[in-house]
Amino acid sequence: MGLLDMFRRETAPRAKRRERALFDDEFQRKLEMLALVSRRVFAGRLRAERRSKKKGSGLEFADHRDYVAGDDFRSVDWNVYQRFGKLLVRLYEEEEDLSIYLIVDCSSSMAFGDKKKFDQARRLCAALAYVGLANLDRVTVVGVNDAVVSRMPTTRGKGRIFKVFEFLSQLEPGGTTDLGSALKTFVAQHKRRGLAVLFSDLYDPAGFEAGINVLRFNKFEPYVVELVDPAEGRPKLAGDVRIYDCETGEERELTITEGMLDKMQRAVSDYRAGIERFCAQKQVPYFPADVNTPFDELVLRVFRRGGFLR
Amino acid sequence: MVFAGLPLVQLLLIAGGAASVTVLLYILKLRRRAVPVPFARIWDAVFRDRQATELFSKLRRLLSLLFQLALLALLIFALGDPKPKQSLLEGRHLVVLVDSSASMKAVDVKPSRIELAKAEVKKLVRGLGSADRALIVQMGALSSPLSTMSSDVTELDPAIDLLSASDTRADLERGLSFALDSLRGLPKAEIVVVSDGVLGDVAEIGQHLDLGSASLKFLPVGKSGTNLAISEFSVRRYPLDKSRSEVMLEVANTNDRAAQVELTLLGDGTIIDVSRFALGPNERLPRYYQDLAGASRTLEAKIRFADGHADDLPADDHAYALMPERHRARVLVISKGNTYLEAALLLDEYLDVTTAVPGKVLPGEHFDVAILDGVADALPDTVAAALYLNPPEGGVPLKLGARLTDFGFDTWDKKSPILRFLALADVQVADGRALTPSAGDRVLGASDQGPILVSGARSGHPFLALGFDPRSSDLVLRVAWPLFVLNAINAFVEEDTGYVSSFRTGEVWRIPVPSAVDSATVIDPHGAQHVVPVKEGRAVYLGEEAGFYKLSAGSGSEAVQSEFAANLSDLPESRITPLTELSIGRQKAAPVNIGAAGSKRELWVYLLAAVLALSLIEWITYHRRVTV
Repeated sequence: MGLLDMFRRETAPRAKRRERALFDDEFQRKLEMLALVSRRVFAGRLRAERRSKKKGSGLEFADHRDYVAGDDFRSVDWNVYQRFGKLLVRLYEEEEDLSIYLIVDCSSSMAFGDKKKFDQARRLCAALAYVGLANLDRVTVVGVNDAVVSRMPTTRGKGRIFKVFEFLSQLEPGGTTDLGSALKTFVAQHKRRGLAVLFSDLYDPAGFEAGINVLRFNKFEPYVVELVDPAEGRPKLAGDVRIYDCETGEERELTITEGMLDKMQRAVSDYRAGIERFCAQKQVPYFPADVNTPFDELVLRVFRRGGFLR
Repeated sequence: MVFAGLPLVQLLLIAGGAASVTVLLYILKLRRRAVPVPFARIWDAVFRDRQATELFSKLRRLLSLLFQLALLALLIFALGDPKPKQSLLEGRHLVVLVDSSASMKAVDVKPSRIELAKAEVKKLVRGLGSADRALIVQMGALSSPLSTMSSDVTELDPAIDLLSASDTRADLERGLSFALDSLRGLPKAEIVVVSDGVLGDVAEIGQHLDLGSASLKFLPVGKSGTNLAISEFSVRRYPLDKSRSEVMLEVANTNDRAAQVELTLLGDGTIIDVSRFALGPNERLPRYYQDLAGASRTLEAKIRFADGHADDLPADDHAYALMPERHRARVLVISKGNTYLEAALLLDEYLDVTTAVPGKVLPGEHFDVAILDGVADALPDTVAAALYLNPPEGGVPLKLGARLTDFGFDTWDKKSPILRFLALADVQVADGRALTPSAGDRVLGASDQGPILVSGARSGHPFLALGFDPRSSDLVLRVAWPLFVLNAINAFVEEDTGYVSSFRTGEVWRIPVPSAVDSATVIDPHGAQHVVPVKEGRAVYLGEEAGFYKLSAGSGSEAVQSEFAANLSDLPESRITPLTELSIGRQKAAPVNIGAAGSKRELWVYLLAAVLALSLIEWITYHRRVTV
């Protein structure tokens, strides 16, 4: 390690502080808010849609939740109402048998630019996990690069959110991106089909389509959340430089000019437009997630797009 | 083109080596800055476009190499200190005579003529060719070189800064003589006169000064000449009433227009009189202030326009004079009784007269003058001077001649201060003795039969001998008698009853020193002290500033101090209308063309400037992203 590297790299305590700040109290308060909002958003319309797909048979009590207009009166827990005066609905496990797979891209490119993309991906993942857990969905979190690098076992109930936090905090970016290969492993490991949300910058040398197609072809419902750092569109470069890919190490020698930076910006836009076009054609929900946009705003955008919860 | 620095061969070697290194460095692969990117594939589109402009990039890189080589060439060229071939030719030798006379204090140009002259001389020096050499000379009453003959601006510039105008007239002839002496034997000799042209009678100089092969150039300074002047200023005490005095001054209007002027007379700094009057064009007007009483020691006169505004030359608007010192003269009279002599001595209250009987022991104290009235008593050394009236044989330090009868003053020295104001033409003398003067003695009066009034000195003691008894003539009945006695006493005690004119600046002053010393100290109006030699009882000093001076001589209890005044009092110098041309005899001075032929052209400076300019262009294009 060179002397300069000591300054460049984060020290361990600093990294810890950073990880703690990732899911701090403020973040958790926002998650509560999102969980409440999500219930209002998905009350009625989406629930019916989702229920028709799931055929639960068990009657095991799982949890309570607040009564909202449209809930079946038969599911109201009158005992609770009698004791506390609050209308709560009894939730049963077999009715909420939705599997949500949250797939986080852990390749090196996600850490590019001060890990902004990776942090944003983890926040979004945690937020959606919380909402899912709060609705008693089966939530699984998976870290991938060119393979499945880490996996959190399927869990449910919002009390398990801290497990999710811990898992996400332990994820480290690194390695190259090969979503096709990694997601093939993923689908092989998860026979139960469900919603698969992919958090990635989609900088895949093999093509971003491969990974999404693996999910599609294996009857998962893919959601694509593309992490976007606007600074990558117009890097602060000038003069004679040797650029190298932070994942593959591929090199290009260039003399950067203003015109070249304009072209670069257009190329990035074209690349993203290509992703959007592909997703639109394949009816895959696509959400660009700007690293500079607050994560709660992005989560709400995902909710509005619909289809994420029951 | 020649190289004054490194020789051409050495320059070529350096250029070859440096160019090789530069090219080698360019041939070596450029080490580019490594920059990580998140996804290199996206850059491929950009990279494809860059391939198309590869040739242009190479050209740009070649241009950069050429640019570096050009900078290198310029620097190496500058290292050689290239000079035009003309600079190898023999350079000029210039003596720059800068007029430092009083007229150069005129402020018709800002800040003053002398300051403008200094600025012009600096330009002249900077415009000299590389082989030219110049000598800066301050031309006042004397010509003083302020530098050596040099081409070094760093030596000439401080010398120019030393130039200052004084209250004297400029002696152009002396300046030209000095310049010719300095240029003797030197090729391409030039004399540059920097002046306002107020240089006195220039045409006369050409009659006895040959400039030879030296070329004369003239750099005029000044543009107008509105001036009033006090051209004379003096004061005297009345001979018979020394408590009163009389002031004479002369004011002059040197302009072609009439002027209303205001003249102020001050005594010891206090205004005595203010008068306003008109002066016609170029008019000189004498004015007298008679019968002035008071104890003022110093007198000053100031003149200005009546409307309050000042003229262009303040130096001659202020004149100074000092009232002659009065002190009691101790007179020893050795006489058997002489009413006429006693009466004459009574006229001056400042005489302290002691009477002694002939043949008796004389008082031992100091006396300024002893008057021996027909007696032959030996005088002690305590008596400074002696006046002998009708001396007997052996009673006077010179031989007596033939006895004379019925004679008078047929000739007398009218310029002698002793005989000033005396009408001696028809004095009748019954009898007396002719006097035989020794070598060094001076005959002040004589009849056709022989000298009858002789002055001289013996053993440092001056004397005056009259060869007849005044009572044997009608002299004692005339006004001339008391005047003669008092003039004689005054002459012995150095108290001049005539006009006490202040000294004139620019002349060698001979100031009386009442002490037997070899040197004295003159303190000028600015307080600066100058040790000056004393020759024949007078301090010799060339004064250049108007004002009040102090003179001190001796030390301890014998220290003597006196004061005197000095004025410009030079009407030609007060005529400050500048001239634009100068002719010495038949030679007309050519104008000075500053910075033209033979100008200093240090090419290396331009080469370095080119390097800087190129570097600036490179910097701008780099930072404006024109070349990168």
